[in-house]
Amino acid sequence: MARQLAMVIDATKCIDCKACVAACKVANKVPEDQWRNWIKHENEVPRVGAAGGGKARFQPGACMHCDNPTCVAACPTGATYKDAENGEVVINEGLCIGCGNCIPACPYGARFRNAEKRKADKCNYCPERRAHGLEPACVDTCPTKARVFGDINDPQSEAGRLYLANKDRLKRVAALTDTKPNMYYLGDLGPEAWGGEAVVPASMVAMKQSAPLIKGIVALSGLGVLAMLGRQLLAGSDHKEDGDA
Amino acid sequence: MPKLMHKRHDASDIFIHWFNAACWLLLLLTGVGLIQNPAIDPFGSGYPAALRSLVGGGTNLLVIHEAIGVLWILGFVFYLAVNFKGARFFLAEVFTVSPGRDLPWMFKKMVLMTLGPKALKTMGQDPNLPEQGYYNMGQKAFAQASIVGGVIIAVTGVVMLLSDRTFGAESTVMIGWAVALHFIAVGVVFAGLLVHIYMAAISPEERPGFRSMFTGVVPDDYAKHHHRLWWDKVRTGGK
Ligand code: HEM
Repeated sequence: MARQLAMVIDATKCIDCKACVAACKVANKVPEDQWRNWIKHENEVPRVGAAGGGKARFQPGACMHCDNPTCVAACPTGATYKDAENGEVVINEGLCIGCGNCIPACPYGARFRNAEKRKADKCNYCPERRAHGLEPACVDTCPTKARVFGDINDPQSEAGRLYLANKDRLKRVAALTDTKPNMYYLGDLGPEAWGGEAVVPASMVAMKQSAPLIKGIVALSGLGVLAMLGRQLLAGSDHKEDGDA
Repeated sequence: MPKLMHKRHDASDIFIHWFNAACWLLLLLTGVGLIQNPAIDPFGSGYPAALRSLVGGGTNLLVIHEAIGVLWILGFVFYLAVNFKGARFFLAEVFTVSPGRDLPWMFKKMVLMTLGPKALKTMGQDPNLPEQGYYNMGQKAFAQASIVGGVIIAVTGVVMLLSDRTFGAESTVMIGWAVALHFIAVGVVFAGLLVHIYMAAISPEERPGFRSMFTGVVPDDYAKHHHRLWWDKVRTGGK
């Protein structure tokens, strides 16, 4: 089975300390006012002893490296793609020109246009750290070990073990667009409405809709040329070209 | 006896035509390789993948495409600096259409080239074509498409080039439309290009016109038959 890097997050362990957010920002030199990951929580602060248990509900998150990545479908050049080797959704910064199509196409708001690089940006599971055998910065730093990272198709990995042992009760953020995210939650991750809708920009829709039309007129033109060529070969020229004698 | 010839293109006209054609060829080849999305890529993902690995990755392909694009625009700037008068003459000829003469010409020519003169006679039409000027309506239509398309392609290309160099996140709606318009304009001009190349290089009727894109001149009788109104002007010296 192909590898699928993913995070299995125990939402009940999250204490909203935001250490993961800070560690990510430092590790990836994310510009001011921009973040690759988050901890979402309900507006009302839970009160201890209140009716309903007053249980805090936090959703640590980031790019979910989906199986049905709507961001990839919105990219015209393949600058963002799903890696067939490890299931990661990758951004090729050399090919990305920062057109911005992928940003509203993510229903979780995981993408942004990096203000310094002027290109799409998001969680990439810290490839530089992984190359040195380290965990992604957010996972490494989490004091309660709420975030577990690894190949969920590998039963030997911690993420795989957690994933396989809890398969039926794992939850995912329920976005209006089903992107099949690879971020799994144990425990209550809070309101379902935390996932939004994938919006493909009108310009990309126009491009997709015009593509078959353009193929059509090119085909028509090609047929015209074939008809002329056929006539030239079968019937010959109708009038002797005087200037060509 | 040397044939009587008429000057049709300046050296700078010939330069810009072939320079443009060479750029177009390379920009098309590299540009199609930059599209990789099953909903839009013209020949599937095999071609972009192959081309990218040939040049050492998508990043290199983008750089190559951008460099040729900038060179293409500079070529036109150079042409305009050298032969602005020629460009003005060209634009005036290309965008002057007299529907009464040109539309029947277009229709009849299309029937003649594909079905032949008998088809026109069957339709009760005179197979003789209305007289044409410096350019015939087919040439004008293609030139109009390639000028309007070319301007759109150049402007949207510059917008995309600057996207990750100067523009901020607030410009992404404009950049997104630049991508879409670039794609659509190239598609439309390319459709016309197929016919242009056939008429200019393959069809025997226009052989002297083809040669003129190297020599700059056309024989008197060719001008008389194909561009009668222009021939009249040249004859009377009232060009
Ligand atoms: C192998 C490719 C090509 C060949 C053999 C070719 C040949 C020619 C010739 C012979 C003419 C002169 C027609 C005349 O003055 O009577 C011409 C004109 C012209 N060419 Fe090309 N051409 C080629 C590619 C292109 C490309 C790629 C473009 C632009 C996208 C282009 C744009 C034009 C325009 C705008 C004119 C003037 C108007 C017209 O004749 O339609 N050509 N071409």
